[in-house]
Amino acid sequence: MSDAVHEFTLDALEWHPYVQPVDLQKATPEQLDALKVTPSNTKVSAYVLVLAQETEMLAERSPLFNDIMYSDGGLSRGGRELGALAASFVNHCIYCAQVHANRFIQLEKRPEVVDEIYTNGLEADLGEYDQALFNFGVDLTAHPDNVGVYQFYHLRETGLSDLEILDLIHSVAIFGWANRLMHTLGEPHRKD
Amino acid sequence: MTTETTVDVIDKVLGLGPSSPLLALREQRAKLKHLTQTSYVAALHPADPRNFSYAERATLAARMAALWASQELLAHYRDLATTEGASGDVLSIADPAWKPEDEASRLAVILRHVDLVTKNPKAATRENIEKLYAAGLDDRDIVTLAGIIAFVNYQVLVVAGLKMLRDN
Repeated sequence: MSDAVHEFTLDALEWHPYVQPVDLQKATPEQLDALKVTPSNTKVSAYVLVLAQETEMLAERSPLFNDIMYSDGGLSRGGRELGALAASFVNHCIYCAQVHANRFIQLEKRPEVVDEIYTNGLEADLGEYDQALFNFGVDLTAHPDNVGVYQFYHLRETGLSDLEILDLIHSVAIFGWANRLMHTLGEPHRKD
Repeated sequence: MTTETTVDVIDKVLGLGPSSPLLALREQRAKLKHLTQTSYVAALHPADPRNFSYAERATLAARMAALWASQELLAHYRDLATTEGASGDVLSIADPAWKPEDEASRLAVILRHVDLVTKNPKAATRENIEKLYAAGLDDRDIVTLAGIIAFVNYQVLVVAGLKMLRDN
């Protein structure tokens, strides 16, 4: 088995849990419902099978995550991925960062933004719009008890609407959630 | 049940009345607002609390709110802890400065984990999960605890962000 990865990377990774995932063959009806397993969709990730240990939370969390990241209107999909990436860099969730950095590149076709973040981390020097989103995400994640008002005004000066700011807040916050699961309940390995 | 499920907790702690522009903004994302509230119930007052009592969940949440100096949520969770019947050591959990006398107890190990994953999640390793197993937690307990910590931290960030919108 490959070694665990402890440095940020864009390489394909797979997540190995520290705790026992639910065995799909022995799953209860409630677990299957929360997993949204259908006869045509029986491939469930180890991460989701771990979360299925606590069915009631998973059943709410999955649609919440999807609505925050994929709802129509408001902040662009790429903007939300940047919020996810900022949070994942602060919380050092290697797996989350890899997934959402690649998704940002796929959506925005601007790999140079991700390159800069992967090179300089929280000190990344970005274009004005990306910088405003990234800095706010870093600030909110690192110290929600003391978010810089300056960072907030920066968002407004960049022209974000209140709905876009609301979407950014949620995309950062849901990674405050996701990072605390993914980074603490398992670790990434390079795909062979 | 004692946890109010019809009152949106975040609206309540931020004091968002019917005429609040921020309430109207939140309603533009009605689905995620609703799922945030149902996630709150799933974390704090699930149908089957199993090995984490409602009182323990509420005081753990109060402790995390205190760790982030989220006064609005701290007040809410202190009230909830009382409503859920917290007393004695369980009530003390809400104070981040408090430690159980027996540092090897289940509760002491849980509190060290809560504090670490709340304030410094990047430092968490496999060893931290091994400590939870050693303290007697099973697979589901560990996922339950992780879920409670993760939800409350999400809620702290949402409230902190919404306060910026409300006040600026």
